[in-house]
This record gives sequence, C-alpha cells and structure tokens, in this order.
Amino acid sequence: MIETLAANHTLLVFLYALATALATGLGALPFLFVRHVSDRFVAYSHAIAAGLMLGASFGLVSEGTMHGRLETLGGALLGVLFILGTQRFLAGYDEEELVFGAARGESARRMMLMMIVMTVHSFSEGVAVGVSFGGGVTLAAVITIAIAVHNVPEGIAITAVLRPRGVSVPRCAGWSIVSSLPQPLMAVPAFLFVEAFRPALPWGLGFAAGAMIFMVLVELLPEAFLEGRRAPVAMVATLTLIGMMLFQRLL
Amino acid sequence: MSGLDPILIVLLYASLAAFAAALGVVPHAVAGRLPLPVLGWANALASGLMLGVAYSLFAIEFSAGLLGGGLGALLGVLFVRLVHASTGTTDLDLNQLDELDPAYGYQVVLVNTLHSAYEGVAIGVAMLVSLPFGVSMAAALAIHNVPEAMILTAIVAGRGLSLFHAAALAVATNLSQVLLAVVTFAVVGALPVLLPWAVGFAVGALIYLTLAELLPESYREAGHTSIALVTLIAMGIVVALGGAEPIQ
Repeated sequence: MIETLAANHTLLVFLYALATALATGLGALPFLFVRHVSDRFVAYSHAIAAGLMLGASFGLVSEGTMHGRLETLGGALLGVLFILGTQRFLAGYDEEELVFGAARGESARRMMLMMIVMTVHSFSEGVAVGVSFGGGVTLAAVITIAIAVHNVPEGIAITAVLRPRGVSVPRCAGWSIVSSLPQPLMAVPAFLFVEAFRPALPWGLGFAAGAMIFMVLVELLPEAFLEGRRAPVAMVATLTLIGMMLFQRLL
Repeated sequence: MSGLDPILIVLLYASLAAFAAALGVVPHAVAGRLPLPVLGWANALASGLMLGVAYSLFAIEFSAGLLGGGLGALLGVLFVRLVHASTGTTDLDLNQLDELDPAYGYQVVLVNTLHSAYEGVAIGVAMLVSLPFGVSMAAALAIHNVPEAMILTAIVAGRGLSLFHAAALAVATNLSQVLLAVVTFAVVGALPVLLPWAVGFAVGALIYLTLAELLPESYREAGHTSIALVTLIAMGIVVALGGAEPIQ
C-alpha cells in the first residue's frame, strides 16, 4: 500500500516536472506570430520569471527555517556552489568542429553554448521541483507553476538565439523542451532523496531556494535590465513577487 | 531594558542603525578612492540586505490582514514610483562619481533620504511585532546603511567634501529612518488595524527600491556572478539574524 503510494507520488513528480519541461516549448510559439520579438517583451518576461522565482524561494526558505535555520542556509550555499561548479565545468569544455543545424563555427558555438547553459539550469530546476514535493503538495504546485512560467521565457530566449540562425519554429520548440528534460529526470531522485531523508529537508529546500535565487540574480535580472528600462522592469518584477507572496499565503 | 518606555527603545535602535551609516566612510579613509567593482559589491550588499528584510517581513505570520498587506504593498510600490516620477529621479544613476552638476547632488541626497524613510517604516512595524524581531530588523538595516553610505561618500568625496562631512551627511540622510520608525511605531501601535498595511507598504517600497535603484547599478559595476554571490550572502545574513520566525 505504502509502496504503491510512493510509486504514485514518484509518477506524479515525474509528470509535474515533465509538464514544466513541455511548457518550455511554449516559448517558441510567439515566434509564429512575430518575426522579431521586441526587447521589451523579453525584458518583461524575464522580470516576471524573476519575481515568481524570488517569491517561490521566499516560501521555500520560510518553510526550511521551520525545520532548521542553519541547515537551510547550508543548503542554499550548496545550491549556489552546484550552479557555480557546473558553470566552471562548462567553461573548461573544449570547442572544436562545432556544428549546430546548418550553422558552423562561431554561430554554432553560440547556439550550443545557449543550449548547454539552458539545459544545465534545468538540472537544478528539476531538483527544485522534486525537493518542493517534500515541503508539501501545495508548495510543489506553486513551484511547478513558477518554473513552468519561468520556462516559457527560457524557451523564448533559446528560440531568440536559434531562430535567426535558420532553425525552424517547431525545431526551436523541440530544442526548448530538450533543454528542460533534465527537470523530470532530476525531479524523481530529488523527490526520493527528500522522502528517504527527512532531516535533509531543510537542506533540500535551501538548495532549491539558493539555486533559484542565484539564477534570478546572475541571469534573469541582468538580462531584463539589459533589454528593458529599469523602472518598468522593476515594477513588473516587484508586482509579480508581491503577487507570488500573496498567492502562497492564500494557499 | 524592559523598564524603558517602548518608544524610547525604538528611538534607540533606529538611531543606532542610522549612526551606523557613519562607518561608510571607513573604506575611503583606509583605501582612498574605491574601485568601481567595490561600489558594485556595496550596492549588491545593500540589495541583498533589503531583499532579506522584505523576506523576513513576508515571513511574519498574520492571523488576518492579507488584503491589507497586499493593498499596502501595492501602495508602497506606487508611492515610490510616484516619488521617483515627481522628483525626476526615475532613471537617476546613483553612482556617478564624476558628475558635478549641483542638481545631481541634491537629487542623490533626496533619494537617499526618502530611501531611508521606508526603512524606518520597516523598523517601526518590526518593533510592533516583537522586540527581538525589531532588533534584528534594526541590525539588518544598520549593516545595510554602511555600504549605502560608502556609495554616498564616494560621490560627495569626488565633490571635494571631507570625510568627516561625508559621515555627517550619511547619518543625516538616515535621520528620516529614525523619524519614520518612531512615527510608525506610535501610530500603528495606536491603530493595530493598520499593521498589515504598514508591513505591506514597507515590503512593496523596499523591493521596488532594490530592483529600481540598487541592482541595476551594481550589474554595470561588477561581474554578474560576484554581484549575485554578494547579494545572496547578504540575504543569508538577514535569514541568519532571524527573529522573524516563529511568532505565535
């Protein structure tokens, strides 16, 4: 009975995470209607994703500190180190004979780098989804929505790099989804790890929060400020963050 | 300490936080003119502490008042936006060390003074929630005031002001924090129904300020990774200071 329940939960986690991965594909859709997505559009979608992820992280940290303040902080540190380590590993990657679709050389290198960076993000996102189930199903639903919404501008970003270099819109959607496939793959072991080791829960919640906040600060916000004027970007991000806080309170 | 009038306790801690700003001149006194990345990290430190403060206000458990909190936050954001628009400081670069226009000088002082006022609201409401929470809030904002004063010092030192005068100016711009802390504590204490509104106002104002004033500057001054790390460490400091939870 308990084993069936656990198996069901594992399947549920997989499906939730798979849904967030598929949401990434939606990011390619605007390119069907517009030949050139405006800078402002990219800026605001990044700002919205930043607000949602910061709000979700606030929820994770407040949940985590109820189980242990220092453990949550330790977990956040590990989450940041994990992303830093992955970035470092990536920087040392040898790049020769690069071919991506019809593109070669510098253009292919840029597309490939984009794909690798986005895919690497998804590992921590998958961990976040899996871990968030350990914090209760309501929180998991919030995180899932947050990451699904966050994945759409990621899909837009991937498409924005691939599309001008001759990749078709359906293929851009495909690459976007591929970049998010580590989510369901990582979500399951992360979920099982949290279930098996209850004491590790604050570590896991902190890890997810640290990884998400780091991602917001190192990537989403700078990108938003680069593409849009700071007052409207700040306004969109702040209102989204406040909305996210209230949303979590209502649940 | 419990023998003191509560309003004097608020005055004391808010004043300590304001006077901590004087420490912002120390790096200049030791190292002279600060390199741009250092100013970026100072901005990031201030940003992280601000976001941490917003987090700890969010973590307060309300028995009621979600609507007031939400509307208060909206008011806070709109208020700051309106103040920026009406003072012509919407796109003001707060870190222009070589800008010697007199208008720029008064705008920077004005923005810093208003910025501190919202922090005063945060101290006031935190003190109303509980003394330990109020003290941790004052401590977080005291630390926040130091990098903020560092940046102000960098600007006014470039205009030929002595470090002693820079320290005095930094403290002076933070006096609005003391005033608002005491006023918020007294008024909201007398009308507890306003508490969620005041908490929301502080959260909305502080988050918007961080995203509109502090972070955009820092990204131009230092690498994204170092900015993100410093901001996260600062947020961690506020979480470590605690006090927000648990409140039963």
